[in-house]
Amino acid sequence: MRIRNWMGIALGIVFVALAGLSAHAQKAGGTLVMLVQPEPPSLASYQSTSGPIGLMAPKVYDGLLDYDKDLKAVPSLAESWTVSDDGKTVTFNLRKGVKWHDGKPFTSADVQFTIMNVLKKIHPRGPNSFKEVMEIETPDESTAIFKLANPAPYMMRSFGSYESPIVPKHLLDGQDLKSASIANKPVGTGPFKFVEWKKGQYIRLDKNEDYWKEGLPYLDRIVGRFIPDASTRTAAMEKGEVHYGAYGAIPNVDVVRLRELDSIGVTTDGYAMINPVSLIEFNTTKPPFDSPAIRQAISLTLDRQFLIDNIWFGYGKPATSALSSSYAATGLYAEGMPNYPGKPDLEAAKKVLDDAGIKPDANGVRAKATLDLIPYGEDWRRAGEYMKQALGDIGIQLDLRYEDVPTWLKRVYANYDFSMNVNYFYQLPDPVLGVHRHYGTDQIRQGTHFVNSSRYSNPKLDALLESGAKEPDAGKRGAMYKEIQEILANDMPVVNLHEMKFLTVFNSKLKGHDASGFGAYGSFDQTWFDE
Amino acid sequence: MSQTAKRLRYVLKRLLQALPIILAIIIVNFFLLHMAEGDAVDVLAGEAGSATPEYMAELRKKFGLDQPLPVQLLVYLKNVITLDLGYSFRHDMPVLDLVLDRFVPTLLLMVSTIILAVGVGIILGLLAATGLNSWRDTLISVFALVTYATPLFWVGLMFIVVFALNLGWFPTSGMENIAMFYEGWDRYWDIAHHLVLPTITLSLFYLALYTRLMRASMLEQAGMDYVTTARAKGLTERRIMFVHVLRNALLPVVTMAGVQVGALIGGSVIVESVFAWPGLGMLAFESLFARDVNLLLGIFLLSAMLVVAVNLIVDIIYSWLDPRIEVE
Repeated sequence: MRIRNWMGIALGIVFVALAGLSAHAQKAGGTLVMLVQPEPPSLASYQSTSGPIGLMAPKVYDGLLDYDKDLKAVPSLAESWTVSDDGKTVTFNLRKGVKWHDGKPFTSADVQFTIMNVLKKIHPRGPNSFKEVMEIETPDESTAIFKLANPAPYMMRSFGSYESPIVPKHLLDGQDLKSASIANKPVGTGPFKFVEWKKGQYIRLDKNEDYWKEGLPYLDRIVGRFIPDASTRTAAMEKGEVHYGAYGAIPNVDVVRLRELDSIGVTTDGYAMINPVSLIEFNTTKPPFDSPAIRQAISLTLDRQFLIDNIWFGYGKPATSALSSSYAATGLYAEGMPNYPGKPDLEAAKKVLDDAGIKPDANGVRAKATLDLIPYGEDWRRAGEYMKQALGDIGIQLDLRYEDVPTWLKRVYANYDFSMNVNYFYQLPDPVLGVHRHYGTDQIRQGTHFVNSSRYSNPKLDALLESGAKEPDAGKRGAMYKEIQEILANDMPVVNLHEMKFLTVFNSKLKGHDASGFGAYGSFDQTWFDE
Repeated sequence: MSQTAKRLRYVLKRLLQALPIILAIIIVNFFLLHMAEGDAVDVLAGEAGSATPEYMAELRKKFGLDQPLPVQLLVYLKNVITLDLGYSFRHDMPVLDLVLDRFVPTLLLMVSTIILAVGVGIILGLLAATGLNSWRDTLISVFALVTYATPLFWVGLMFIVVFALNLGWFPTSGMENIAMFYEGWDRYWDIAHHLVLPTITLSLFYLALYTRLMRASMLEQAGMDYVTTARAKGLTERRIMFVHVLRNALLPVVTMAGVQVGALIGGSVIVESVFAWPGLGMLAFESLFARDVNLLLGIFLLSAMLVVAVNLIVDIIYSWLDPRIEVE
């Protein structure tokens, strides 16, 4: 028996109805200028999840599904979908009459090609997200049937246009995917068409008059502007030359001032699908961090709230487990994990160290190490300075190291030439997509970035991760992830610091930019100017 | 031999001499750049979020980064001889297109800066020298000292706050108004409007330098024997100052301006960054962090050629300012 996903269709109808009802309020027209920082290397969202690409490409490409503010899946290129009882067959009924920006029709062949030949091959996360997809059958032009080797409940969270854009087969088939011309000149089915990319200045997208959503998009044009200097970005926002900046384009220190202005709005919404968590990775293969005790002691010592209040101006939430508390919505987050105290507990930390035989020498020093800092801005340096001081109090003496991005990546992920490293990871809407890569033994992949660089390996955990990925029952899955979090809190291969809150700063005239669960990585088809 | 033919021969000779210099610049830069940890593939994969080692190896092969360094260098040199500056794999565009695209804004900023800095610097230096130890001299000298000592990025930001935010006279940044997409004359006017703040910011530092240099040079020349001779001939002070002294006093300023064209490209990185001006300096800066070696070498090559050309022009200006200096 098949369970039809009536929910999706019902939501779609409600959505269309709402869009129709409120059409009087929204005004069409206008040019949105948004900050894109830094300038992206390309617009190939099918082979890079780089942030600035995510800001522009989802306006041009559609996904099979979209996710609303409550992270519920809603129809996009797929009008409806069904998952079979055994979870191994997923059928998408595709929207009819959709055209690519070059006028060619969109069909099930595009879906098949995108998943099997592009995302599974060259997307950074695609091989993981679509691991279980064995083949995609296309009985007709508007049906795509995914055949899975094992159930993959997490896969249904990765059909958004940022994560899995559907790309045109007729422009990519038979070409070298890594140098196809649509990398810089994307052709999609989305609400905006690519027009021009003036290097060093801007990317221009114009309204797609033939967009399949009736009456949308509202905006005539979106321009992504590159301004390298943070203070200038703030000035341009204040003057109204730019209308929108997300992912810290306006630094927190300036937001504190701008948020007092009537013409500027600030929100932390729109990052739930991304789920960023800051953390410290350890080299668990050599002293001093080969002992779980010292890693636990560090977690017990750091004052997470202090970091949030003083470095990120109050935007953030202390981490209480290896999983972000936003997984509470899917029942995977577990409370009350050990070694994640509400307040720093120096006595407990010292006791843990003493018990493990890591005793202070004559100068009160128990261990020495170099702390590497993620080279993504001054905030991380400030955080490092705090950690140096705080950990000095329990006798861990740190030197700080801040290098440029390529040197740092090579050091941590290729040469393993580090002992502790401050970093942040996107946990994404499901742990299989964002968290497993950090802890699994199969994720010790030298030369691959943002995976298990701690080289922590625990067969018991590996088994749990594997069964957790395939478990379709939400209750059983929750129990498995509770056990996973307990193991990680005790072994502490990674000390999670805080659930980051990125800031989106926008001109108050700009409305509807938060329609999608992806926030700034959304399509902006319902964004409009109230003036 | 006529003067013109002599000059032509001189130019050709200088151009030939420049070839080994440019070659040396390429080779030294090539090895310097490859001494940095990490390569373009590391950066691309890091930005992408993740990539398999096989995929990265494939990319390295495609970019030619799997070859030994001397082979890469030879391939590069061979291409340069055929005027092919290579391909930027990061931007997925030929280096020449990228560099030329950014060259125009750089040239615009550089030329306007040189004209403003040299022009105003000469005038201020002249005014200071002619009114030695008067209030005028003191005022100009203090102004020169302050602008010389102020960091460029701070001046830029202050200009933005005062003239763009508070007074609203100029746009904060960029080269043109990209919400409007002007055409024709409106566009040129728009670009000129955007050019004002970056030009003044970048000029200030050099302006101070030229003012001081011009002042010192004028004072030095004023004590020369030929000035006494001119005075004995009965020439007016005005004529002595503006025809005799000024012309000789200009030489050191012109020399300095020539030398500083290279520095100007470097110094403009800060101004380009603050004002989001899409010039070469910014491109070089970003390419360095992206380890885009081909593009960087292209920029260095072009800058080197620019400096060589400007120095040649300066030498020719010399011979025109002071006919005693002959080109040969």
